[in-house]
Amino acid sequence: MSQPQDIPPRGSPRDNPVGSYEEQWLLGNSKQARRTSVAETDDKNRTSQSTATSTGKKGPKQPKPQTGPPNGVPPPKAAQGMTKAERRAIQERQRMEKEARVAAGLPGSAKKAAEQLSNPGASPRPASLASPNPSITSSPSLTKPAVEQVSKKAKAKTVEGVSPWLMHLEIPRKPETSSAGSKGLHPAMVTFGLWISEYKILGSNLRCAAMLETFKQACLSNSFLQSLTVIAQIIKDHRPPEAESFARHIQKHLDPHIAYLLNIRPMSLSMRECIRWIKKEISDIVETNPTLEDEGVRHRLIERIDHFIRDRITLADQLIVKNGLEKIQDGDVVLTYAKSTVVQKLLLEAKANGKQFRVIVVDSRPRLEGKTLLARLVKAGIDCTYVMISALSFVMRDVSKVILGAHALLSNGAMYSRVGTSLVAMSAKDLHIPVIVCCETFKFVNRTQVDSLVLNETADPDELVSTPLGDKNTLVNWKQESNLGVLNLLYDVTPSEYITVVVTEVGLIPCTSAPVIWREYNEELRKRQK
Amino acid sequence: MANSNGFDVVQTYRQILGDPDMSTPVATFKALAEFMKHSSASTMSEFMQTLDQASQQIKAAAYAETGSWSKYMRLTHEEPIQYQHKAQVAALAGMDLFLRFVARNSHDILDFETCKQNLIDRSELILQKAAVARDRAAATGAQFIRDNGLVLVHAYSRVLMRLLMIAGKTGKRFRVLVTEGRPTTEGERAVRELTEAGIEAQGVLDSAVAYIMNKVDMVLVGAEGVVENGGVINQIGSYQVALVAKAHGKPLYAVAESYKFVRLFPLSQYDLPTKTPRLLNFADKNLMHPLLSAQTSQRQREESTSSVDLDVDVSLADFVLSNPSVDYTPPEYITLLLTDLGNLTPSGVSDELIKLYL
Repeated sequence: MSQPQDIPPRGSPRDNPVGSYEEQWLLGNSKQARRTSVAETDDKNRTSQSTATSTGKKGPKQPKPQTGPPNGVPPPKAAQGMTKAERRAIQERQRMEKEARVAAGLPGSAKKAAEQLSNPGASPRPASLASPNPSITSSPSLTKPAVEQVSKKAKAKTVEGVSPWLMHLEIPRKPETSSAGSKGLHPAMVTFGLWISEYKILGSNLRCAAMLETFKQACLSNSFLQSLTVIAQIIKDHRPPEAESFARHIQKHLDPHIAYLLNIRPMSLSMRECIRWIKKEISDIVETNPTLEDEGVRHRLIERIDHFIRDRITLADQLIVKNGLEKIQDGDVVLTYAKSTVVQKLLLEAKANGKQFRVIVVDSRPRLEGKTLLARLVKAGIDCTYVMISALSFVMRDVSKVILGAHALLSNGAMYSRVGTSLVAMSAKDLHIPVIVCCETFKFVNRTQVDSLVLNETADPDELVSTPLGDKNTLVNWKQESNLGVLNLLYDVTPSEYITVVVTEVGLIPCTSAPVIWREYNEELRKRQK
Repeated sequence: MANSNGFDVVQTYRQILGDPDMSTPVATFKALAEFMKHSSASTMSEFMQTLDQASQQIKAAAYAETGSWSKYMRLTHEEPIQYQHKAQVAALAGMDLFLRFVARNSHDILDFETCKQNLIDRSELILQKAAVARDRAAATGAQFIRDNGLVLVHAYSRVLMRLLMIAGKTGKRFRVLVTEGRPTTEGERAVRELTEAGIEAQGVLDSAVAYIMNKVDMVLVGAEGVVENGGVINQIGSYQVALVAKAHGKPLYAVAESYKFVRLFPLSQYDLPTKTPRLLNFADKNLMHPLLSAQTSQRQREESTSSVDLDVDVSLADFVLSNPSVDYTPPEYITLLLTDLGNLTPSGVSDELIKLYL
């Protein structure tokens, strides 16, 4: 494709493509070389990707924006995970290719170049929102400021020595609240963004519902439950400009909010699914009833969001608790890891039903989410044991059932969940202990992942470094150590063979049926549309 | 027995089951279909309610059913012992499916009479479908038998026998090993019927399964119920056979009609709905039949043994009544399920069930 933009600075020695596997991955020294090699790889990836994607995300890089016409084709879903890495890589290259850029007639600074390019990029706004497969960041014009912001931070971060194979992962960053107002963001969204960036709203259910509520307000959102809530609020408060209809404008209006959310913390898989759903709802409403008044559209959208929160989250949880209760019997020793809202509900309900069982809460640093769960369970009078994940193999032999929450259930039957879950499930499987996963069907996503690194999220590495040891802590100056990286992953992938059963609101199913459930729900949507 | 218009659904169910070739789920279909025809309900909700009650009665009856174990049940006096009978799961499967199938479109029509007629028509339809299911499953499964093969079969299963007969008729030459299938020892009957049909068959002790596994080409088991994850609930011993087959790398095929698919998801052997507190329970010997209770002294035992005309040894009866009659074979031990819907992988069962129930 567009060759000019892809010229890597092959002339300079540090950009020499590394020759061997060992050089590329295993050598600890020259970080510079490693990073460049990643940029190279990204180059190749990028060329293989659709032109539509490159206009959106690589605007800053392109000397000639018209080389990649946005056909209105939304970027492929898979590109979602890639784009940030690409952006970072681009930024890297930009620095190195400053001269080349100047030669191409663009300003020397990356930011200015981006600004200059964002305008041409804005004009061919893809009609992707109305398309059946809307992507979260389908609007190049609106995500542009976000791109800039990300790349700036990414640049600062690369100094801290992130392993090359982890550079695509999200890096935690603080939302820029000061500039939020200028982007026309809804206040609810800004609040919500701050919450999730500080991990005040944790857990995919809460995140999604809150997101939809916020979206309701301004028509935009983030974490799933939260996101849903937020969206709902946004929609409620949104007033379109005179000339435009609500339905048309709300889509545009939601985009910067979504971009903002993406920027704060990578969206959970379920949140993405949720946003995809809401965009589909919007376009459905427009398609099925073009004559509907603005108020009618708003009303209907808010109603749909409310129903979604009610049916797929609140009621679903109740049904999961009901279904899960059958599997907790007197005398059971239940092991659970970290904290899941629905698992907590299930255990409390089992206690309320008079079942005699014991719970082992396994927890891990640095987030110690299990403590909250533990407090609730102890308060309810359940016999509990609290251990760190390092004691897992010791406690596992007493366990009769493992009950886990999920962040998302993937199409290959694997589960995406809090980091450490895979370890717990594996050791349970090793001892032939049934592993029960509680998961609402809205968290079933159409995506396949076989390892935990393709898509994941990292949190601040300093969280791992700070320990009660204080100054004696050898890791205090870890950033100065050139041959040390600290990785604070947030999620991992549990392969399907470790999961015995998934408890959903539609019953108990084997995890390999996840794609069937996903398909059924999406077909239902399609049918309703007709 | 509560009934509608003097119709006794349990009696009908028992009568239908009197046919040795009748499988339990189909018997429930028939009994419930008869019940619907005789129903005197005047509103839809009453109709559905009585239908529901009728199915509960059948369920209760199935749980009290003695089936082929009746010879042991002579030990019981007035009150019947509640023990695990293998047909329970099958009855459950049949009932669920029938209610689901019949009730699926029942709310679309407002006029009660039309609606009732519609339901009766649907129940006829399900019976027609069920009638061909066994032959179809057997026919699909028969293709798996290779010429000159040695097939191991666990105990007696109607659909399995049908399968072997079909394979025999198509001119395949194969030999069959049949496990004894304690405690019902129905394997004996299977050997007899196969030999009569001209198929070389030989009985094998349940305890000799591992001994012969090395020579076996494939293992076939029937099913009382196929659970949601594709695991199979079948006569006791199937799990053991499956484990041995897996250890020797031999394929194990479960043959089942699709009306035996049931929305259960057992996590272990102890998680079956038909488990009774008596099963292999050290603490609850008192729950056992008076003859067998721990409090019964040896002398009393001898006395009562002599006073009742028994053709069964008391200790054997003890074994039977305090032991499970079915076990659950997890899906990882099953190569394929040969059903009337075609040959399914275990995970395919869940997909079929989801389509039906979601």
